[in-house]
Amino acid sequence: MMVRRIGRFFDERLGSDSAVRYFAAKIYPDHWSFYFGEFALYAFAMLVATGMWLTFVYDASPARAYASVAALSRDAPVGYLMRQVHHWSAVTFVAAILVHMARIFFTAAFRKPRELNWIVGVLLLVLASLTGFTGYSLPNDVLSGTGVRIADSVLLALPFAGPWAADVFTGGGYPGPLLLSHLYTIHVYFLPVAIAGLLLAHLGMLTYQKHTQFVADPTHVVGRRFWPDYALRTLAALGATVGVILALAGTFEINPIEQYGEYRDYIVPNPAAPDWYAAFLDGALRLGPGFELRIAGHPIPAIFWPGIALPLLVFAVVIVWPWIDAYATRDARKHHVLEPPSGAPWRVGAGVTLIVAGFVLTLAASDDQQSRSLHVSVTALVTFYRWALPLASLGAGAIAVVLARDVGARAEGRSRKSERVVALRRNARGGFDEERPKSA
Amino acid sequence: MTRAALAVAIVAALAATVAAALHLSPALLAFAAALAAFAIASAAGSAALALRGPDDLREPRHERGPSRLEALPDDMVTRGGVFGRMWTYALGAFVVLGAVPFVALARKPGPRGTAWTGGARVVDVDGRALRADDVAVGGVETVFPEYHVGAPESATLLIRLEDDALRTRPERVGWAPHGNVAYSKICTHAGCPVAIYRHESYQLYCPCHQSVFDVLDAAKPLSGPATRALPQLALDVDAAGFLIARGDYTEPVGPDDWWRTP
Repeated sequence: MMVRRIGRFFDERLGSDSAVRYFAAKIYPDHWSFYFGEFALYAFAMLVATGMWLTFVYDASPARAYASVAALSRDAPVGYLMRQVHHWSAVTFVAAILVHMARIFFTAAFRKPRELNWIVGVLLLVLASLTGFTGYSLPNDVLSGTGVRIADSVLLALPFAGPWAADVFTGGGYPGPLLLSHLYTIHVYFLPVAIAGLLLAHLGMLTYQKHTQFVADPTHVVGRRFWPDYALRTLAALGATVGVILALAGTFEINPIEQYGEYRDYIVPNPAAPDWYAAFLDGALRLGPGFELRIAGHPIPAIFWPGIALPLLVFAVVIVWPWIDAYATRDARKHHVLEPPSGAPWRVGAGVTLIVAGFVLTLAASDDQQSRSLHVSVTALVTFYRWALPLASLGAGAIAVVLARDVGARAEGRSRKSERVVALRRNARGGFDEERPKSA
Repeated sequence: MTRAALAVAIVAALAATVAAALHLSPALLAFAAALAAFAIASAAGSAALALRGPDDLREPRHERGPSRLEALPDDMVTRGGVFGRMWTYALGAFVVLGAVPFVALARKPGPRGTAWTGGARVVDVDGRALRADDVAVGGVETVFPEYHVGAPESATLLIRLEDDALRTRPERVGWAPHGNVAYSKICTHAGCPVAIYRHESYQLYCPCHQSVFDVLDAAKPLSGPATRALPQLALDVDAAGFLIARGDYTEPVGPDDWWRTP
């Protein structure tokens, strides 16, 4: 048989059979919540596949970029669909990473010895968002062009180095002659290569350290073999990811640039809002304080606080979370068994606080549309959201703590009940031995 | 079940191929391809469920690290003292050298000036020169210096106010002939075009982050994240009756940065 002959060819030269056998027999724990990372992986595969195709039609020169993308919509359905699938894959990629990350967080899978993989994962999220933003900007339509202009302004606001950084970014002034060319190289080369490298590290560490599990056996991995059990499951995950992305692309048109028109720095779409995963930053810019600090006569523009300081602060806290967690729990031991969310209510509270804060900022990014439909002034909405940001996020966090405690208490009650004594037996010394049920 | 799903996958994939070849609608192509993917997922899922193998196979976890490597030669890494760290210094110097090309990418940024010059006629986006009464009271027009329509940072809003509506500052007397006042269209917050003007409140709105500017009072920010007024362009009327600029903006246009001189 052909497969066997190919296998023998490689085995005779590399001795690959033993590795194949080893990985085929490797045990993987199974749980529905473990599949989100796989969804992200397969969305990335879709991105690479469709992205390579798109490089053959895209023209990064300022004069022809918009036309080269708009032409896709007019010509064969394949080109239109390729862009739609690419964009939907990007959205799915970021969404799957976020849910995967929430799963890791709420089950404390980031604890020692997996802190490094947590960091790699956080970096992957940042790179995925940046890749999304740079790709979204390539068509040079008026909506994305406005986003790039804002990004350039944020870059300018960097203390000391801002003007230099912005100058390198655009190739001089705005919109600089090299802006699209730089975005293109960053989008198709620097970021994907970095993502691929970090993905390899992510999966390599996962394989080497072995997956975490809910089964309370700290010394063994408990689950199914990779081949054929898990191979079939991951194939199902691949098919489902690809199917969902294609169905979304066929049903909902995303980013219809021909309706926006080509970028001109004096035209702005209204409403103007970015893709959903960047909207929290847009919301932060809208709520940001309207004051300009001065250091030795140099301005720190208002945009610095929501545009640079806030994301950096969140990033720093998330990166060092495993150590914050270890300090808070006074627990620096290694863990291979996951902790259900109810095991650490305060962790649930912290996670919910961050998620709700992101949600409030995302809502604030469409305050102008809400103002129009609710007949409330934007100024009032900004005040409302400025209060809602701390109150709603901390309030939701507090509620989450209480709920998680309650769930934890119930679970503990159940396990105590199941341990109840079913019989007393007289022993040889005249005392009584308690007999408990064998299960649980 | 598995075989039926695989059969569906084959048919759907072929149908998608035909749809692509015949240039049928993108939605049809997408749905056929999605059906093929879902069919493969179902086939794999049903095959996995049919295995019925145990789900509690066990494999020991080996504790990883700390492991003791054979120590590197002492004199390379571990010996202290100024000379003992020469390896570190030498490699570090190379890293610094490697950073030089990247720093060299950054030239001193030129001023982000506009294309406005003294005497330049004010034209609309179609390049048509405007007279002092071309824009009706309450009207607004995006304008550029003549021959420079679309020039970076030069987009300007020409707003026609009632003759004595503007609260003119002493140093700006005569900048708005016949109620034609001109402000930079580039927002001082994040560089978006300040595109919306409402004459009933004399306010300019930026659609990106909802900053509001007071047109009657030097375009000072009233609310929102912007902290600096939109710069005003000094206008005049030439002998032929056309609006002209008296010169470039006297303040920097667009968002602030560290090196912006106040």
